[in-house]
Amino acid sequence: MTGAPLGRPVRTPRLPLPASGRLLRLEVRRNAMLWMVPVAAALFWLITYRRSMALPPLWNVRTMSMQTGAVSVFAATVVGVAAWTGSREGRHAMTDLLAGTARPRWIRQLAAWSATTCWALPAYLGCVGVLYAATAWQAAWGDPLWWPAAVGAASVPAFSAIGFTAGVLRPSRFTAPLVAVIAFLALQFSVQMIHGGRSPWQISPLVAGPWQLGPDAGVATFYPYLPDLPLAQVSFLAGLTAALLGCLGLPAGSGGSWLRRSAAAITAAGLLSSGAAVALAGTGRLDTHGMIAIPTLHDVASDRPIPYTPVCSQTTIPVCLHPAYAIYLPAVTAALEPLLSEVAGLPGAPVRISQTSAAYRQQAGNGVGIGLTGPLIIGTPPVFQLLLPNQLGGPTMTADEVAAAVRSQTRRDILAGIIGGERAASPAQQAVLAAMLDIATAPDTPIRAKAVRFAALSTAARHAWLVKHLPALRTGRLTLAQLP
Amino acid sequence: MNVEITDLTRRFGRTQAVAGVTMQIGPGVFGLLGPNGAGKTSLLRMLGTVIPPSSGRIRLLGHDLGGYGQRRLVRRRLGYLPQALGYYPGFTVVEFVEYFALLKEVPAEQVPRAVATAVERVGLGDKARARLRTLSGGMLRRVGIAQAIVNEPELLLLDEPTAGLDPEQRVTFRALLRDLGQRATVIVSTHLVEDVGAACTQVALMDAGRIVFHGTPDELTARAEGTAAAGDAPLERGYSAVLAEARS
Repeated sequence: MTGAPLGRPVRTPRLPLPASGRLLRLEVRRNAMLWMVPVAAALFWLITYRRSMALPPLWNVRTMSMQTGAVSVFAATVVGVAAWTGSREGRHAMTDLLAGTARPRWIRQLAAWSATTCWALPAYLGCVGVLYAATAWQAAWGDPLWWPAAVGAASVPAFSAIGFTAGVLRPSRFTAPLVAVIAFLALQFSVQMIHGGRSPWQISPLVAGPWQLGPDAGVATFYPYLPDLPLAQVSFLAGLTAALLGCLGLPAGSGGSWLRRSAAAITAAGLLSSGAAVALAGTGRLDTHGMIAIPTLHDVASDRPIPYTPVCSQTTIPVCLHPAYAIYLPAVTAALEPLLSEVAGLPGAPVRISQTSAAYRQQAGNGVGIGLTGPLIIGTPPVFQLLLPNQLGGPTMTADEVAAAVRSQTRRDILAGIIGGERAASPAQQAVLAAMLDIATAPDTPIRAKAVRFAALSTAARHAWLVKHLPALRTGRLTLAQLP
Repeated sequence: MNVEITDLTRRFGRTQAVAGVTMQIGPGVFGLLGPNGAGKTSLLRMLGTVIPPSSGRIRLLGHDLGGYGQRRLVRRRLGYLPQALGYYPGFTVVEFVEYFALLKEVPAEQVPRAVATAVERVGLGDKARARLRTLSGGMLRRVGIAQAIVNEPELLLLDEPTAGLDPEQRVTFRALLRDLGQRATVIVSTHLVEDVGAACTQVALMDAGRIVFHGTPDELTARAEGTAAAGDAPLERGYSAVLAEARS
């Protein structure tokens, strides 16, 4: 109280900010989220980025995996920091001091919440941006899928609002860690409650598609990524944010009557939006292309296939894949090429192996059936419809794993489509299949013996024999004894 | 009159903290004395618009405090330092005072100057960029005073403002009080009667929620004459005499 000069003069900003801008700037400068950004980024790298980058460079699997991982990481972090910020007035015994200030309490609280969100949202977007950039660098085809990123982005303010509200209502030093743990567990619990495509629990921001499938390489490639569920999720999260923040403005003392009426309107709109979104999620269904379709939000234009030019191998019978799966072409071609050169020119042999989209069917509970809608070989000239093994759900596969699965299953399907016996093969068909696919049969049986003899023939001899006897072999009229 | 209180009461459950206080206070420094639990802090909290009264009427700076709009008008012209000063440890001195300037709706273009002036007036210019967590108790008290005066209040409520200040700082603070009292109504709640003697033009003594004395410091001193009231200073003896009389 000596009137000593300030250590450094107070800087005047070049562009004078309005009071609300100055308040926000002050809050942003001192917000705890600033210190948690490196932690959130590290967790994102550890949990989300590494896992996503281990997946094939397909936009669908990478972004859907990213949504689930990023929401888990950022929800727990942001909710904790927001609760810490929300509880600070109570923790620091500031309530009396602040109660006597003119600016409405609600505005003060919104500034603090905004500051937390202002740090968390760019942090999230930065992390997602890195993952998208890496995927764009590696992906062979397609545009980024933005909806998974949008749902994650909408989760950040929502979880910030949840934490902040909890902190305001229960101002304790234990609130932040407690709320972070509860939020994390609640998210995990929410997805455990999903049973089929009609579950309202799909509104959980962890869900990027049919939850039972997980990140699936078969969706959103041949057909667009359906925005139905993400729209409902964003609507739910925006409504939740509005409702929670609006609630803070309802108590007497939060502001004037106009402000409190606005808060009530925001709360009501938020509740309406989030309630409607949950109800809409409950009307979803697994569509035939593997996404959740919500009739009210569905745009039929999304059901049209995305045009593409397949990438094909230079083999006798070309193997053609969707360009998104171009990385698998060498492995798949190598797995099929010996068989394809042997069957090329046989009556009924396909002129092309062409990858097609899988069809999805909701089964009882969380079961999903994935397969072809029609026969394996269609059209004239015949084309073999190929489903890559990683289109069939389950864990993602490396190129070698895909090749191994193609070698064991697709080769058999192709050959069985030519010589017959897809369902119940005759002994002669079994012997030819075993010989040409080099698969084991029961030892010391006539089929085994014939298979060994047939396999011992030269490729040209086998081809010539097949040209001559294929009609009889296909109809099952050929006996084992008639095999060479 | 900047402060007009009529039959003001405040209850906390079964406890009556303030029991029918009626007072009018004009510009100048007003000392509020009383023992622990007398109701001084409750009275100041009501005047600071922190808590509403249970009954009675408060009129501050020409406004009744019934509606939110009226309270907001008063709060723009009000400074309040609570007994237990809370603070955000991560804020610097300047940031903390700026925060309150903004919350008191000081016009944005005036904020930097107002903050600098308030910080200088409490003698924390050389600590302006220091984080609050690094300051001593006395310095924090001065930060509290700075936030209270940043909006050039017309009504300043200070609850135990000199607690934690060293003697030199207290002397300087009293000078600041006298200066502030030139233009504003300053109500100082304190246990330290020497603060009242040195800085206050008017004084009231509270006991058990009631005003048992209202007058000048000299009149309070005079109440000890002819009694055997305890105290080391004349004002202390007056304080003791009035309390003894009120309780008899």
